[in-house]
Amino acid sequence: MSSSKDNLNEFFSSTSGKAGSALLLIFLIISTFVVFTYPLDFGITVWNNPAYWSDYPKSAPPSWTTLFNDDEFEHQIIEFTSPSDVVKIPNQEERIYTQKLILDKNSFPTFISLSMNDITYHDLPPIVTLSIVRPDNDEVFVYREIISPPRVGEDAPFTRYSESPFRVNLSGDKSVASNLLIFLQERTQQQISINQIVGSSEKVIFAKFNSNSIESYEPLLGEYTLVIKFVVADERDSISNVKFVLGGSTYGFLGTDSLGRDISVGLLFGFPVALLIGIITSTLTTMIGTTLGIISGYVGGKTDTVIQRFSDTLSNIPLLPILIFLIFIIGPQLWLVMVILVLFGWPGLTIIVRSMVLQLNTSQSIEAAKSLGASKWRIMYRHIFPQLAPFIFAQLVFFTPAAILAEASLSFLGLGDPSIPTWGQILENGFRTGGVYIGYWWWILPPGLLIVITAMIFVFIALALEPVVNPKLKNM
Amino acid sequence: MSLFRTLVFRGLSLFVVLLTVLFLSVIVLGATGFSDRLLTATVSEELRGLRQSLSQNINDPNELERVISDRREQLIEFYGLDQPWYYRLPDMVFRILTLDLGEARTLRSFSGSNRVSDIVIERLPNTLILVTSAMFVTSLIGLYVGVKVATQVGSRFERAVSYFSAISYALPAWWLGIIFIILFAFQLRILPSSGMFSVPPPTEPLARFFDRLWHAILPVFTLIIVSIGPWAYAVRTMVLNISQEDFVNVARAKGLPENLVMRRHIVRVAAPPIVTSLILGLTGSLGGAILTETVFGWPGMGRLYYEAVLAADESVIVALTFMFTLLYVIARFILEILYVILDPRIRYK
Repeated sequence: MSSSKDNLNEFFSSTSGKAGSALLLIFLIISTFVVFTYPLDFGITVWNNPAYWSDYPKSAPPSWTTLFNDDEFEHQIIEFTSPSDVVKIPNQEERIYTQKLILDKNSFPTFISLSMNDITYHDLPPIVTLSIVRPDNDEVFVYREIISPPRVGEDAPFTRYSESPFRVNLSGDKSVASNLLIFLQERTQQQISINQIVGSSEKVIFAKFNSNSIESYEPLLGEYTLVIKFVVADERDSISNVKFVLGGSTYGFLGTDSLGRDISVGLLFGFPVALLIGIITSTLTTMIGTTLGIISGYVGGKTDTVIQRFSDTLSNIPLLPILIFLIFIIGPQLWLVMVILVLFGWPGLTIIVRSMVLQLNTSQSIEAAKSLGASKWRIMYRHIFPQLAPFIFAQLVFFTPAAILAEASLSFLGLGDPSIPTWGQILENGFRTGGVYIGYWWWILPPGLLIVITAMIFVFIALALEPVVNPKLKNM
Repeated sequence: MSLFRTLVFRGLSLFVVLLTVLFLSVIVLGATGFSDRLLTATVSEELRGLRQSLSQNINDPNELERVISDRREQLIEFYGLDQPWYYRLPDMVFRILTLDLGEARTLRSFSGSNRVSDIVIERLPNTLILVTSAMFVTSLIGLYVGVKVATQVGSRFERAVSYFSAISYALPAWWLGIIFIILFAFQLRILPSSGMFSVPPPTEPLARFFDRLWHAILPVFTLIIVSIGPWAYAVRTMVLNISQEDFVNVARAKGLPENLVMRRHIVRVAAPPIVTSLILGLTGSLGGAILTETVFGWPGMGRLYYEAVLAADESVIVALTFMFTLLYVIARFILEILYVILDPRIRYK
């Protein structure tokens, strides 16, 4: 019997053992990072919460794809937490938030939006106005809003938008369009209707007015100034946060999906989920499979017959159809998927372990233990199990990707647990949205690749374990 | 005689598998209240038909209501809706066995019928074409490659095959399908991306055949790639194990030519376990078929699964689960017969 140190050396001497362990380590580090930085209810509060992603561009490719294309507009989020200037007027106070915007790419932002958070006032409701000063020194008045007045019976201070932010999509807003129409009529003689402006306000604000239709406007490059004013009637009034977004046509490292969700954020969350699904399921499966296999092989008799009939039947049930059926009827919950995988997964191992135990039963070491008067359980636990342990460990590793792939397949069929985003679900979203046909490769390829790599890690480790495990089996 | 007995025994145990799946589905359907909903829908569907035909003959609305509520009582008793679900178990099992699952909610067969059995039966041949052709090609190539690799252990070819089988095992069928669509249908534009026929489909039988073949290339190829790796590796391992046995050495020592040793003494002996591993790979092939059909829009039972999940059509899902189990049990039984033919020990018992 070779020592465990030799085994370890043999394991790490193979390329697949080295590659597998190195990748597993990386995946574990990423998973740990995610577990400590992501909220536990990430799926509900962040990933599947459209409000969270409203400030992101929709279906934007990764920003590095346009590294050599200067005309792509970069996504910009301008966030204020305190005003740049405060002007006191009798009975009023004007809080001004300004920021310079440089337009140097020959393209328009894809959308513009304004959002505000957590507004508290004591007397009259504050008034918000947004205007933009263009490089040609024209000031475009874009938007004006009066925060909703006190309700009947409500006492000061009045709090607004503390739970979800107030957000207005300036590109598609009708009042913005009518403000811009006035600006356009003063500025040019063009015959443009308000409906042409709705949905493309940004093309008016940042335009050169070089043609007669909004579609063929070109951007006016230069330095713009964003001016957001809050007129408050009481100096105790507060606004915790104001956000102005210039939508880009590319975003981040892996782009966004059609809801604006940052795909890299979702994929990161998938790391610990995939590892947990794989490891928990395979551990439980091998535990049950091994225990029943040893009992079946060593105890024999009626116990053996019952366990064997049972596992023969269960192992013959086609897994994916029964999984689809049960999850569809009972409901898409991740723990249920894992329970079903364990329930239908153990029999295969039980059958193999039993046949190995039958061979071991006649060996001298077991006979010696028996003649010394060791109990049934002691023999199974102390004498049979240790001899099978390496093989069982290899099985555990080998079974891990099966569980990960099964969950991914199920998610791909639209039966993923909506509260826990997985790689399979992200891919399914992309597939169902038609990403394959439209060409959203950044939405389709990375999640699939991650599933394949994760599965490969365990297959590689299992491959490297084979020479460690097999010679011992032959010596038995 | 013992050959016949073995087959009967295997057939019976496979029938038990079918019954287990049936009872499992029926119990789950009953316990979650699905069967109640299913039957109530059937009853109200029948009553609606009755109301329409009766309203032409009976003019008095009270009389009409009375007749209909009588009929409802009868139907509820007939379907056993007045009893708890577990009393209906045998009846329900029988209904699934005969695919008598009433009408689908939104899905229709290609000919427009909304009966579950029509929808499912119509798709069956398409799935069979896909699975059988993929399995046939896979087993032939895998057998050839596996045996060849076993004779060259340690060679570069052997290592390449090992790595390929690892990748093949880790590749999800649906993702590979998507990659193939992007590559062959959109980048290279040499193969169709989905469906079974071009639009509009050719009318001439021969042209139809070739058109179908043309559309089948990518899905079949996907299925082959994902299932061939583990299968070739399994063949390799079994051939390798047997080639180390004493009787093989004896055959070599007798001076028999190597390919004769391989054919008669190794592959012939390895044949039964090879069939066993083909049997074990069967569930995987069926699962792969479900996913591959979904990706390629191949109008088989697998794609129907996806459509039924999207449309939340539970009676179709029940029928499909049963059909896939049935398909598995039949395929499994055919392989069992093959096993019995290949393993002489059973015949001589």
